[in-house]
Amino acid sequence: MQIYRPDGAVGSGPHALAPPVPVLTGKRIGVLDNGKPHARLLMVQMAEHLAKRSGATVTVVTDKGRGHNAATPCSDQVLDTLVKEADLIITGSAD
Amino acid sequence: MKTSIPKYDSPVSDDRNQRDTGDTADRYMLDVTDESPEEIQRAYEERGWGDGLPLVPPTSARVEAMLAGLGAVDPDEPVATLPPRFGVATRRTIAVNAVLAGCLPVHLPVLITAVRALVRPELNLRGVNATTHPVAPLLIVHGQATDDGGYNAGTGAFGPGNRANATTGRAVRLVLLHVAGAVPGPGDASTQGGPAKYTYCVAENLRATPWEGYAASRGVLSPSAVTVHCGEAPHNVHDMDADAPRPILDKIASAMATLGQNNVCISQGEYFVALCPEHAAVMAAHGWTRTDVASYLFDRARVPVATVRANFGSLAWAQWMRSLDGSDLVPMTAHPDNIRVFVTGGPGKHSSVIPSWGMTASVTVPVEP
Repeated sequence: MQIYRPDGAVGSGPHALAPPVPVLTGKRIGVLDNGKPHARLLMVQMAEHLAKRSGATVTVVTDKGRGHNAATPCSDQVLDTLVKEADLIITGSAD
Repeated sequence: MKTSIPKYDSPVSDDRNQRDTGDTADRYMLDVTDESPEEIQRAYEERGWGDGLPLVPPTSARVEAMLAGLGAVDPDEPVATLPPRFGVATRRTIAVNAVLAGCLPVHLPVLITAVRALVRPELNLRGVNATTHPVAPLLIVHGQATDDGGYNAGTGAFGPGNRANATTGRAVRLVLLHVAGAVPGPGDASTQGGPAKYTYCVAENLRATPWEGYAASRGVLSPSAVTVHCGEAPHNVHDMDADAPRPILDKIASAMATLGQNNVCISQGEYFVALCPEHAAVMAAHGWTRTDVASYLFDRARVPVATVRANFGSLAWAQWMRSLDGSDLVPMTAHPDNIRVFVTGGPGKHSSVIPSWGMTASVTVPVEP
Protein backbone atom coordinates (compact mmCIF):
# COMPACT_ATOMS: atom_id res chain seq x y z
CA MET A 1 0.00 0.00 0.00
CA GLN A 2 0.97 3.63 -0.28
CA ILE A 3 0.93 6.60 2.04
CA TYR A 4 1.90 10.19 1.42
CA ARG A 5 5.39 11.51 1.85
CA PRO A 6 5.36 14.53 4.18
CA ASP A 7 7.94 16.79 2.58
CA GLY A 8 6.68 18.01 -0.79
CA ALA A 9 8.74 19.49 -3.58
CA VAL A 10 11.65 21.87 -3.30
CA GLY A 11 10.84 25.31 -4.64
CA SER A 12 14.30 26.36 -5.72
CA GLY A 13 17.39 24.32 -6.21
CA PRO A 14 20.31 24.56 -3.81
CA HIS A 15 22.88 27.18 -4.70
CA ALA A 16 26.15 25.77 -5.97
CA LEU A 17 29.38 26.86 -4.35
CA ALA A 18 31.64 29.02 -6.47
CA PRO A 19 34.58 27.16 -7.97
CA PRO A 20 37.69 27.26 -5.79
CA VAL A 21 40.46 29.73 -6.60
CA PRO A 22 43.35 27.48 -7.72
CA VAL A 23 46.15 29.98 -7.11
CA LEU A 24 45.89 32.79 -4.58
CA THR A 25 48.88 34.77 -5.78
CA GLY A 26 47.72 38.17 -6.93
CA LYS A 27 44.13 37.53 -5.89
CA ARG A 28 41.95 39.75 -3.71
CA ILE A 29 40.64 38.37 -0.43
CA GLY A 30 37.51 39.72 1.25
CA VAL A 31 36.16 39.09 4.73
CA LEU A 32 32.44 39.11 5.46
CA ASP A 33 31.85 39.38 9.21
CA ASN A 34 28.87 37.15 10.06
CA GLY A 35 28.10 39.07 13.25
CA LYS A 36 29.10 36.38 15.72
CA PRO A 37 31.37 37.34 18.62
CA HIS A 38 35.06 37.30 17.67
CA ALA A 39 34.27 36.16 14.10
CA ARG A 40 35.83 39.25 12.54
CA LEU A 41 39.03 38.91 14.56
CA LEU A 42 39.41 35.26 13.61
CA MET A 43 38.58 35.68 9.93
CA VAL A 44 40.70 38.78 9.41
CA GLN A 45 43.67 36.98 10.92
CA MET A 46 43.04 34.04 8.62
CA ALA A 47 42.81 36.36 5.63
CA GLU A 48 46.01 38.21 6.50
CA HIS A 49 47.85 34.94 7.08
CA LEU A 50 46.67 33.60 3.73
CA ALA A 51 47.65 36.81 1.98
CA LYS A 52 51.11 36.80 3.52
CA ARG A 53 51.72 33.17 2.55
CA SER A 54 50.41 33.38 -0.98
CA GLY A 55 51.02 36.88 -2.26
CA ALA A 56 47.33 37.77 -2.22
CA THR A 57 45.87 41.02 -0.85
CA VAL A 58 43.13 41.60 1.70
CA THR A 59 41.01 44.17 -0.11
CA VAL A 60 37.77 44.39 1.86
CA VAL A 61 36.58 43.63 5.38
CA THR A 62 32.90 44.33 5.96
CA ASP A 63 29.89 43.51 8.06
CA LYS A 64 26.54 42.63 6.49
CA GLY A 65 25.40 46.23 6.10
CA ARG A 66 22.23 47.84 7.40
CA GLY A 67 20.93 46.07 10.50
CA HIS A 68 24.06 43.94 10.70
CA ASN A 69 23.32 40.96 12.92
CA ALA A 70 24.19 37.28 13.01
CA ALA A 71 20.54 36.39 12.44
CA THR A 72 19.91 38.54 9.40
CA PRO A 73 21.03 38.27 5.77
CA CYS A 74 23.74 40.34 4.13
CA SER A 75 22.50 43.42 2.26
CA ASP A 76 22.56 43.40 -1.54
CA GLN A 77 24.80 46.47 -1.51
CA VAL A 78 27.45 44.66 0.54
CA LEU A 79 27.21 41.61 -1.69
CA ASP A 80 27.73 43.79 -4.76
CA THR A 81 30.79 45.35 -3.15
CA LEU A 82 32.25 41.96 -2.32
CA VAL A 83 31.70 40.69 -5.85
CA LYS A 84 33.44 43.75 -7.28
CA GLU A 85 36.33 43.97 -4.85
CA ALA A 86 37.27 40.37 -4.03
CA ASP A 87 38.04 37.09 -5.75
CA LEU A 88 37.73 35.03 -2.58
CA ILE A 89 35.47 35.66 0.42
CA ILE A 90 36.04 34.30 3.89
CA THR A 91 32.90 34.16 6.02
CA GLY A 92 31.19 31.96 8.56
CA SER A 93 27.67 30.71 9.00
CA ALA A 94 27.61 29.72 12.65
CA ASP A 95 29.10 30.38 16.08
CA MET B 1 30.84 10.80 19.60
CA LYS B 2 27.62 8.99 18.86
CA THR B 3 24.43 11.05 18.68
CA SER B 4 20.79 10.16 18.25
CA ILE B 5 20.15 12.73 15.52
CA PRO B 6 18.44 10.93 12.63
CA LYS B 7 19.89 10.99 9.18
CA TYR B 8 17.91 13.44 7.11
CA ASP B 9 16.59 12.35 3.75
CA SER B 10 18.14 15.28 1.97
CA PRO B 11 16.19 16.84 -0.86
CA VAL B 12 19.46 17.22 -2.72
CA SER B 13 19.94 13.46 -2.97
CA ASP B 14 16.26 12.69 -3.42
CA ASP B 15 15.28 11.71 -6.95
CA ARG B 16 11.73 12.94 -6.60
CA ASN B 17 12.87 16.36 -5.60
CA GLN B 18 15.06 16.62 -8.65
CA ARG B 19 11.87 16.66 -10.67
CA ASP B 20 9.76 19.71 -10.75
CA THR B 21 6.50 20.82 -9.18
CA GLY B 22 3.20 20.70 -10.97
CA ASP B 23 2.99 16.94 -11.18
CA THR B 24 0.31 14.61 -9.91
CA ALA B 25 -0.26 13.72 -6.33
CA ASP B 26 0.86 10.09 -6.68
CA ARG B 27 4.45 11.20 -7.11
CA TYR B 28 4.36 12.15 -3.47
CA MET B 29 3.55 8.64 -2.31
CA LEU B 30 5.64 6.17 -0.40
CA ASP B 31 5.33 2.38 -0.48
CA VAL B 32 4.81 0.69 2.86
CA THR B 33 3.94 -2.92 3.68
CA ASP B 34 0.90 -2.09 5.81
CA GLU B 35 -0.80 0.64 7.78
CA SER B 36 0.35 -0.43 11.23
CA PRO B 37 1.85 2.21 13.54
CA GLU B 38 5.08 0.22 13.63
CA GLU B 39 5.43 0.20 9.84
CA ILE B 40 4.66 3.89 9.48
CA GLN B 41 7.15 4.71 12.20
CA ARG B 42 9.79 2.54 10.54
CA ALA B 43 9.25 3.96 7.08
CA TYR B 44 9.38 7.53 8.33
CA GLU B 45 12.24 7.17 10.79
CA GLU B 46 14.30 5.48 8.10
CA ARG B 47 14.10 8.72 6.12
CA GLY B 48 14.68 11.05 9.05
CA TRP B 49 11.01 12.09 9.18
CA GLY B 50 8.71 12.48 12.14
CA ASP B 51 9.10 14.07 15.58
CA GLY B 52 9.74 10.86 17.47
CA LEU B 53 6.12 10.36 18.50
CA PRO B 54 3.67 7.92 16.89
CA LEU B 55 2.18 9.13 13.61
CA VAL B 56 -1.21 8.71 11.98
CA PRO B 57 -0.69 7.09 8.54
CA PRO B 58 -1.33 9.69 5.82
CA THR B 59 -3.33 7.54 3.45
CA SER B 60 -5.04 9.07 0.43
CA ALA B 61 -8.41 8.66 2.11
CA ARG B 62 -7.33 10.50 5.23
CA VAL B 63 -5.64 13.31 3.30
CA GLU B 64 -8.63 13.77 1.01
CA ALA B 65 -10.93 13.87 4.05
CA MET B 66 -8.65 16.45 5.64
CA LEU B 67 -8.82 18.61 2.50
CA ALA B 68 -12.53 18.17 1.93
CA GLY B 69 -13.61 20.89 4.32
CA LEU B 70 -11.61 23.63 2.65
CA GLY B 71 -14.11 24.29 -0.11
CA ALA B 72 -13.26 25.53 -3.59
CA VAL B 73 -9.54 26.00 -3.26
CA ASP B 74 -6.71 24.34 -5.16
CA PRO B 75 -5.08 21.74 -2.88
CA ASP B 76 -1.87 21.86 -4.89
CA GLU B 77 -1.46 25.62 -4.96
CA PRO B 78 1.70 26.68 -3.10
CA VAL B 79 0.92 28.40 0.17
CA ALA B 80 4.49 29.10 1.22
CA THR B 81 8.10 28.18 0.51
CA LEU B 82 9.84 27.37 3.76
CA PRO B 83 13.56 27.78 4.50
CA PRO B 84 16.12 26.37 4.94
CA ARG B 85 15.10 23.51 2.61
CA PHE B 86 12.87 25.80 0.54
CA GLY B 87 10.20 23.16 0.54
CA VAL B 88 6.92 24.13 -1.07
CA ALA B 89 4.01 23.86 1.34
CA THR B 90 0.82 23.29 -0.63
CA ARG B 91 -2.49 22.77 1.07
CA ARG B 92 -2.08 19.06 0.32
CA THR B 93 1.38 18.90 1.89
CA ILE B 94 0.09 20.74 4.94
CA ALA B 95 -2.88 18.36 5.09
CA VAL B 96 -0.52 15.37 5.02
CA ASN B 97 1.28 16.74 8.06
CA ALA B 98 -2.04 17.54 9.73
CA VAL B 99 -3.05 13.89 9.33
CA LEU B 100 0.29 12.73 10.68
CA ALA B 101 -0.17 14.95 13.75
CA GLY B 102 -3.72 13.78 14.45
CA CYS B 103 -5.56 16.97 13.46
CA LEU B 104 -9.23 17.08 12.51
CA PRO B 105 -10.27 18.71 9.20
CA VAL B 106 -11.64 21.69 11.12
CA HIS B 107 -8.10 22.49 12.27
CA LEU B 108 -6.64 22.66 8.77
CA PRO B 109 -7.54 26.31 8.00
CA VAL B 110 -5.81 27.39 11.21
CA LEU B 111 -2.75 25.37 10.26
CA ILE B 112 -2.64 26.72 6.71
CA THR B 113 -2.95 30.25 8.08
CA ALA B 114 -0.09 29.61 10.48
CA VAL B 115 2.13 28.36 7.65
CA ARG B 116 1.29 31.46 5.66
CA ALA B 117 2.27 33.59 8.66
CA LEU B 118 5.57 31.75 9.07
CA VAL B 119 6.94 33.12 5.82
CA ARG B 120 6.19 36.76 6.48
CA PRO B 121 9.58 38.50 6.19
CA GLU B 122 9.41 40.11 9.63
CA LEU B 123 9.12 36.68 11.25
CA ASN B 124 12.54 35.69 9.81
CA LEU B 125 11.84 31.96 9.61
CA ARG B 126 15.26 31.16 8.23
CA GLY B 127 16.83 32.62 11.35
CA VAL B 128 14.25 31.00 13.61
CA ASN B 129 15.05 27.59 12.19
CA ALA B 130 18.78 28.08 12.04
CA THR B 131 19.57 29.53 15.45
CA THR B 132 21.14 27.75 18.41
CA HIS B 133 18.38 29.31 20.60
CA PRO B 134 15.46 27.00 21.56
CA VAL B 135 12.90 29.22 19.82
CA ALA B 136 9.63 27.71 18.63
CA PRO B 137 6.67 29.32 16.87
CA LEU B 138 3.82 29.77 19.34
CA LEU B 139 0.38 29.75 17.73
CA ILE B 140 -2.32 31.79 19.43
CA VAL B 141 -5.79 31.10 18.04
CA HIS B 142 -8.29 33.93 18.23
CA GLY B 143 -12.04 34.26 17.78
CA GLN B 144 -14.53 31.92 16.17
CA ALA B 145 -11.91 29.34 15.21
CA THR B 146 -11.41 28.67 18.92
CA ASP B 147 -14.95 27.39 19.33
CA ASP B 148 -15.14 25.80 15.88
CA GLY B 149 -11.99 23.79 16.38
CA GLY B 150 -12.42 23.05 20.08
CA TYR B 151 -9.24 24.88 21.06
CA ASN B 152 -8.66 25.15 24.78
CA ALA B 153 -8.40 28.69 26.13
CA GLY B 154 -9.25 27.68 29.70
CA THR B 155 -7.70 25.49 32.37
CA GLY B 156 -4.46 23.98 31.12
CA ALA B 157 -4.51 26.01 27.89
CA PHE B 158 -0.84 25.37 27.16
CA GLY B 159 -1.51 21.65 27.59
CA PRO B 160 -1.80 18.79 27.86
CA GLY B 161 -5.10 17.13 27.15
CA ASN B 162 -6.74 19.02 24.29
CA ARG B 163 -6.63 17.58 20.80
CA ALA B 164 -6.95 20.85 18.91
CA ASN B 165 -4.10 22.61 20.73
CA ALA B 166 -1.89 19.54 20.80
CA THR B 167 -2.27 18.44 17.20
CA THR B 168 -2.28 21.86 15.53
CA GLY B 169 0.90 22.82 17.32
CA ARG B 170 2.41 19.46 16.49
CA ALA B 171 1.45 19.80 12.83
CA VAL B 172 3.26 23.13 12.62
CA ARG B 173 6.38 21.44 13.90
CA LEU B 174 5.97 18.55 11.44
CA VAL B 175 5.66 21.05 8.58
CA LEU B 176 8.86 22.70 9.79
CA LEU B 177 10.66 19.36 10.07
CA HIS B 178 9.46 17.91 6.78
CA VAL B 179 8.82 20.80 4.42
CA ALA B 180 11.18 23.43 5.83
CA GLY B 181 13.85 20.84 6.65
CA ALA B 182 14.30 22.20 10.19
CA VAL B 183 15.77 18.92 11.34
CA PRO B 184 18.02 18.99 14.42
CA GLY B 185 21.54 19.21 13.08
CA PRO B 186 21.35 20.04 9.37
CA GLY B 187 18.37 22.40 9.58
CA ASP B 188 17.93 23.37 13.23
CA ALA B 189 21.03 24.19 15.26
CA SER B 190 19.23 24.60 18.60
CA THR B 191 21.79 23.70 21.24
CA GLN B 192 19.37 21.94 23.57
CA GLY B 193 16.11 22.00 21.65
CA GLY B 194 13.05 22.35 23.84
CA PRO B 195 9.63 20.95 24.66
CA ALA B 196 7.94 23.84 22.81
CA LYS B 197 9.42 22.39 19.62
CA TYR B 198 7.05 19.41 19.87
CA THR B 199 3.83 21.41 19.97
CA TYR B 200 3.09 25.01 20.96
CA CYS B 201 -0.45 26.18 20.45
CA VAL B 202 -2.86 27.98 22.74
CA ALA B 203 -6.10 29.89 22.34
CA GLU B 204 -6.96 33.36 23.56
CA ASN B 205 -9.62 33.36 26.26
CA LEU B 206 -11.73 36.04 24.68
CA ARG B 207 -14.63 35.62 27.10
CA ALA B 208 -12.34 36.37 30.04
CA THR B 209 -10.54 39.23 28.29
CA PRO B 210 -11.58 42.55 29.82
CA TRP B 211 -10.41 44.46 26.76
CA GLU B 212 -10.92 44.04 23.05
CA GLY B 213 -9.53 40.80 21.66
CA TYR B 214 -5.83 40.62 20.92
CA ALA B 215 -6.25 40.27 17.14
CA ALA B 216 -8.55 43.29 17.00
CA SER B 217 -6.00 45.24 19.03
CA ARG B 218 -3.52 44.53 16.23
CA GLY B 219 -5.98 45.69 13.58
CA VAL B 220 -7.13 42.23 12.47
CA LEU B 221 -10.92 42.35 12.60
CA SER B 222 -11.83 39.03 11.00
CA PRO B 223 -13.97 36.52 12.95
CA SER B 224 -10.98 34.20 13.36
CA ALA B 225 -7.27 34.91 13.43
CA VAL B 226 -3.94 33.36 14.29
CA THR B 227 -0.90 34.97 15.87
CA VAL B 228 2.53 33.41 15.47
CA HIS B 229 5.18 34.49 17.97
CA CYS B 230 8.60 32.88 17.84
CA GLY B 231 9.76 32.61 21.41
CA GLU B 232 10.77 30.51 24.34
CA ALA B 233 8.58 28.20 26.35
CA PRO B 234 6.37 30.04 28.91
CA HIS B 235 7.99 31.33 32.11
CA ASN B 236 5.50 31.06 34.96
CA VAL B 237 4.60 34.04 37.19
CA HIS B 238 2.41 33.47 40.22
CA ASP B 239 0.79 36.04 42.45
CA MET B 240 -1.82 34.70 44.82
CA ASP B 241 -2.33 37.77 46.96
CA ALA B 242 -2.44 41.03 45.08
CA ASP B 243 -5.67 42.88 44.41
CA ALA B 244 -3.92 45.69 42.56
CA PRO B 245 -2.01 45.71 39.26
CA ARG B 246 1.41 46.77 40.47
CA PRO B 247 2.41 43.76 42.62
CA ILE B 248 1.33 41.37 39.87
CA LEU B 249 3.09 43.30 37.14
CA ASP B 250 6.23 43.75 39.23
CA LYS B 251 6.54 39.98 39.37
CA ILE B 252 5.98 39.73 35.64
CA ALA B 253 8.60 42.44 35.10
CA SER B 254 10.98 40.45 37.28
CA ALA B 255 10.49 37.37 35.10
CA MET B 256 11.11 39.50 32.02
CA ALA B 257 14.30 41.07 33.36
CA THR B 258 16.59 38.07 33.54
CA LEU B 259 20.02 38.27 31.96
CA GLY B 260 19.87 34.98 30.08
CA GLN B 261 17.18 36.00 27.62
CA ASN B 262 17.97 37.12 24.10
CA ASN B 263 15.78 40.16 24.71
CA VAL B 264 18.53 41.62 26.91
CA CYS B 265 20.83 42.19 23.99
CA ILE B 266 18.36 42.33 21.08
CA SER B 267 16.07 45.28 21.59
CA GLN B 268 13.61 44.55 18.80
CA GLY B 269 12.49 41.34 20.51
CA GLU B 270 8.93 41.14 21.76
CA TYR B 271 7.51 39.70 24.95
CA PHE B 272 4.18 37.96 24.97
CA VAL B 273 2.56 38.23 28.37
CA ALA B 274 -0.16 35.63 28.83
CA LEU B 275 -2.30 36.94 31.66
CA CYS B 276 -4.58 34.49 33.44
CA PRO B 277 -8.19 35.71 33.65
CA GLU B 278 -7.94 36.55 37.36
CA HIS B 279 -4.85 38.70 36.92
CA ALA B 280 -6.42 40.38 33.89
CA ALA B 281 -9.56 41.10 35.92
CA VAL B 282 -7.45 42.86 38.56
CA MET B 283 -5.98 45.11 35.88
CA ALA B 284 -9.38 45.96 34.45
CA ALA B 285 -10.95 46.52 37.87
CA HIS B 286 -8.42 49.29 38.44
CA GLY B 287 -9.06 50.82 35.06
CA TRP B 288 -5.84 49.62 33.44
CA THR B 289 -5.94 49.02 29.71
CA ARG B 290 -3.79 46.59 27.75
CA THR B 291 -1.59 49.55 26.80
CA ASP B 292 -1.27 50.54 30.46
CA VAL B 293 -0.07 47.04 31.30
CA ALA B 294 2.50 47.09 28.50
CA SER B 295 3.69 50.58 29.40
CA TYR B 296 4.14 49.69 33.05
CA LEU B 297 6.09 46.55 32.17
CA PHE B 298 8.24 48.56 29.77
CA ASP B 299 9.04 50.92 32.63
CA ARG B 300 9.67 48.22 35.25
CA ALA B 301 11.35 45.40 33.33
CA ARG B 302 14.82 46.92 33.33
CA VAL B 303 18.33 46.01 34.35
CA PRO B 304 21.36 48.20 35.04
CA VAL B 305 23.00 49.09 31.75
CA ALA B 306 26.42 48.51 33.31
CA THR B 307 25.42 44.92 34.12
CA VAL B 308 24.41 44.30 30.54
CA ARG B 309 27.57 45.83 29.15
CA ALA B 310 29.63 43.71 31.52
CA ASN B 311 27.91 40.55 30.32
CA PHE B 312 27.53 40.99 26.57
CA GLY B 313 30.10 41.77 23.92
CA SER B 314 27.53 42.43 21.24
CA LEU B 315 24.35 44.48 21.63
CA ALA B 316 21.70 44.72 18.92
CA TRP B 317 20.10 47.72 20.58
CA ALA B 318 18.07 50.62 19.31
CA GLN B 319 20.24 53.67 18.85
CA TRP B 320 18.75 55.56 21.81
CA MET B 321 19.53 52.66 24.13
CA ARG B 322 23.21 52.90 23.23
CA SER B 323 23.37 56.31 24.88
CA LEU B 324 22.52 54.87 28.33
CA ASP B 325 25.37 54.68 30.79
CA GLY B 326 26.35 55.03 34.43
CA SER B 327 23.48 54.15 36.72
CA ASP B 328 20.87 54.11 33.94
CA LEU B 329 18.50 51.20 33.69
CA VAL B 330 17.96 49.73 30.27
CA PRO B 331 14.54 48.34 29.26
CA MET B 332 14.29 44.76 28.06
CA THR B 333 12.88 45.86 24.75
CA ALA B 334 13.04 49.14 22.85
CA HIS B 335 9.33 50.08 22.88
CA PRO B 336 6.20 49.36 24.96
CA ASP B 337 4.46 48.08 21.84
CA ASN B 338 6.91 45.17 21.83
CA ILE B 339 5.15 43.92 24.98
CA ARG B 340 2.07 42.04 23.79
CA VAL B 341 -0.65 41.15 26.29
CA PHE B 342 -3.32 38.51 25.85
CA VAL B 343 -5.49 36.44 28.19
CA THR B 344 -5.54 32.67 28.42
CA GLY B 345 -6.08 29.99 31.04
CA GLY B 346 -8.65 29.12 33.65
CA PRO B 347 -9.18 29.75 37.35
CA GLY B 348 -6.07 30.44 39.41
CA LYS B 349 -3.42 33.09 39.67
CA HIS B 350 -0.66 32.00 37.33
CA SER B 351 0.30 34.07 34.33
CA SER B 352 3.31 33.61 32.08
CA VAL B 353 5.92 35.45 30.08
CA ILE B 354 7.05 34.23 26.67
CA PRO B 355 10.33 35.94 25.70
CA SER B 356 11.27 36.28 22.07
CA TRP B 357 14.16 34.76 20.19
CA GLY B 358 14.98 38.36 19.28
CA MET B 359 15.46 38.88 15.55
CA THR B 360 11.84 38.15 14.75
CA ALA B 361 8.49 39.91 14.94
CA SER B 362 5.13 38.31 15.62
CA VAL B 363 2.47 38.12 12.94
CA THR B 364 -1.33 38.21 13.36
CA VAL B 365 -3.36 37.20 10.32
CA PRO B 366 -6.97 36.31 9.53
CA VAL B 367 -7.78 32.62 9.21
CA GLU B 368 -8.11 31.81 5.52
CA PRO B 369 -8.05 28.38 3.89
